[in-house]
Amino acid sequence: MALLQVKNLTKRFGGLTAVKQVSFDIQPGEIVGLIGPNGAGKTTLFNLISGILNPEDGEIILDGRPIKQLSPARRSLAGLGRTFQIVRPFTMTVLENVMVPLLARDPHMGKAREEGMQVLTLLRLDHLADAQPDSLTLAYRKRIEVARALATRPKLLMLDEVLAGLNPTEISENLPIIRQVHERGVTIFIIEHLMDALMAVSQRVLVMDQGVLIANGSPQEVTSNECVIKAYLGEETPTC
Amino acid sequence: MSANRWQLLGFILLAAVVAAPVLVDSKFILHMVTLIFFYVAMTSAWNIPVFGGKMSLGHAAFFGIGGYTGAILYVKFGVSPWIGLVAGVAMSLLGGVIMTLPLLRLRGPFFTLASIAFAEVLRMIAIDWRSLTNGSVGLNIPFKPGWANLTFQSGLPFYFISLILAAAVVFVSYRLRHSALGFHLRASASNDEAAQALGVDTRRAHFIGLLWSSGLTGLIGVFYVFFIYVVEPNTMFSIPLFSLQPALNGIIGGIGTIWGPVIGAVIMTPLGEYLRFYLGTIQQGLNFVVYGVVLIVTVNFIPGGIVSLLARLKPSKGSNGPGSPSGAKEVR
Amino acid sequence: MELIFQVLVSGLLIGGVYALISVGLNLIFGVVRIINFAHGEVLMLAMYATFWLNKFFGMDPYLSALLVLPAMFFFGVLVQRVIVQPIQEASSNMQIFATVALSLILQNLALIFWKGDFRTIQTSYAMSTLEVMNIIISVPRLVAFLVALVSILSLFSFLKHTFVGKALRAIVEDNTVARLMGIKVERLYLLAFGLGAAFTALGGILLIPFSSVYPTVGVPFTLIAFIVVVLGGLGSMSGTFMAGLFIGVVETFGGTYVSPALKEALYFGIFILVLLVRPQGLFGKGKGTEEIGLK
Repeated sequence: MALLQVKNLTKRFGGLTAVKQVSFDIQPGEIVGLIGPNGAGKTTLFNLISGILNPEDGEIILDGRPIKQLSPARRSLAGLGRTFQIVRPFTMTVLENVMVPLLARDPHMGKAREEGMQVLTLLRLDHLADAQPDSLTLAYRKRIEVARALATRPKLLMLDEVLAGLNPTEISENLPIIRQVHERGVTIFIIEHLMDALMAVSQRVLVMDQGVLIANGSPQEVTSNECVIKAYLGEETPTC
Repeated sequence: MSANRWQLLGFILLAAVVAAPVLVDSKFILHMVTLIFFYVAMTSAWNIPVFGGKMSLGHAAFFGIGGYTGAILYVKFGVSPWIGLVAGVAMSLLGGVIMTLPLLRLRGPFFTLASIAFAEVLRMIAIDWRSLTNGSVGLNIPFKPGWANLTFQSGLPFYFISLILAAAVVFVSYRLRHSALGFHLRASASNDEAAQALGVDTRRAHFIGLLWSSGLTGLIGVFYVFFIYVVEPNTMFSIPLFSLQPALNGIIGGIGTIWGPVIGAVIMTPLGEYLRFYLGTIQQGLNFVVYGVVLIVTVNFIPGGIVSLLARLKPSKGSNGPGSPSGAKEVR
Repeated sequence: MELIFQVLVSGLLIGGVYALISVGLNLIFGVVRIINFAHGEVLMLAMYATFWLNKFFGMDPYLSALLVLPAMFFFGVLVQRVIVQPIQEASSNMQIFATVALSLILQNLALIFWKGDFRTIQTSYAMSTLEVMNIIISVPRLVAFLVALVSILSLFSFLKHTFVGKALRAIVEDNTVARLMGIKVERLYLLAFGLGAAFTALGGILLIPFSSVYPTVGVPFTLIAFIVVVLGGLGSMSGTFMAGLFIGVVETFGGTYVSPALKEALYFGIFILVLLVRPQGLFGKGKGTEEIGLK
């Protein structure tokens, strides 16, 4: 059974349809990428799945359970994790940041501290446990964002532009972490503008343009897809 | 002076305040120190929802509810003040539920505005419901000294009671801040959306924080009425005295911290009394003008309060001890 | 039966003034996005200014508007520049305390300089009434309503048809985009605050013939203005007008049939009800809930 099933998801803002009848599945254990030109509706899709926005139409089913009626917090408790494009760690130490979601599941401080350190160690942030995030570089803050989401023990982790704004060195440091997280059994759904990075790490790629899902296949299939190429070049795609 | 020296100085000052009535035999000092302890308790209680960024200016409502419950039960029904304490807490918790449930959906300023309205409405009700509260005439606690009646000849028992009360509230505040609830409140204040995305039920967290705060404030209210004997609506539900004053203390000391409310109350209570007696007699209202100016200056230049000034003295990458301000910079 | 109409008319008349005062707040809050707790004090200052002009120069209250309104406009600009601008970027909690402090300062300065006595202005027309279809209408209240109506319509027209007006509306809708379009947002904040203050001041002047002046006279109006703005919907002038009338009517009915003392409980109840049931207000533009500050 698919871990995530999205069926005919639609979101309208006044006259604008940001997401139109989008349907796809994500199987457990996959890494699926989501790409598309600016304004394609990728983050809106994420927001719909994570519960920040409510759809006009469609279904969202996580691990066999419909989650459309659940609040964002409940979706998180159901196994859905996500990071935000604009990272804003909480105003507390790195370790405390990671403890927040742990405490939401088990209020014991000692246990949360221990598990928090484990997550930090996995993401190679343990030496920064007592640091204040605002004194750290963007690359580290992005990693904290992932650490926090990981602490929720998600079945599905949605990463929103986790590599944006990083220089090549930082990308080469952070990218393996995505793979590492995946190897621990977390299914990953990732939005990323950096084509090379995304193609390198994804097993399957979804392409959106103007709210519509125009392609769904392996990285090779998608990059040679005419519709996709046209979409990125800004050309009209009437037949897609 | 290094941070540690300031801390030492602070502790010495605190010890001096606590010990003062023992060292100096003066009714005035005894009364003043007792009042300081009451305000330390009140300010710390007010400060609990501030961990989550919610600044209520309606706490006078809980104070009044608690106080009136204790007073009415004692004066009209002869119920012991000690039972009145429990009843007072229960009633102010109820008040907390009534105020909080509808209002929690509101962001910062609207929440504050609505909380003021809540306190005001209760004051009007207290004035109007004469059969219960004696209206503006108020209630007088009869003078029958004894621990059973929580009434005393000397000022010493209340000195101890208020000291224990203050210590207890500060302790509860400390424990809450370092509990899962505290983490969730701070996370919500920092970035509510992200906190929710991590599975935190932020509404519930704020709700519980406010319940703690209202219950404790009500408790303090009951003790207070037996301390001052006279219970009337414009005092017990006074926004300047029991909503603004704790808020002012908290801001000056450092909101969202543990020691901030303590420092703020210790400094501002005697100052406030001084302003009220000396400036107030020269010119009624002058003390409030000074309050207002102090508040504006603090908000503009030291939004984190005195605690943040002390924190600046520490070498940068400190971990969050009891002193790191939350709520000063966060929006909600 | 006649009593009902009488109460209704009285309610509508005072509602017009409430609308005027709230329109000022709508403008300030919509553009500058600050909750001004000192809103009622603008009213109070305008009323005192009018009172003193009358006392020392025998100036008719309505006439003194010519002097008081510009003065209050500048006062609004001053508040924005000196009090609000420095904390424009601060957390809204801090902004609250700054305006609460301002409110406290103004009320008590008034107390210090002008004492707490209730001041009234005697005018020849204060007591005059009209009778229309067996309903007695107080002339000053009627004048207040008409002036309020005309002012609100002019403001509405100004916002709709002038360039500056459109710029203001742009800021209300989307501050960032307005900025990016080259609109001088900071300067328009000053204008908005000044205009808002002037309209509020006008409301105060209109109240003079039938209300006394004292340092805390403005306090209930701050809450009323917010309730009206929330009820009517941010950004909607017509909404504010309707809501103002509604609150006026509710208050008058409540005061007549229930109890004058529980007016505030009534306001509060309405406030909460609106927030729970229809947070964007009766006529609020769609984005309402965020603007009003709801989650």
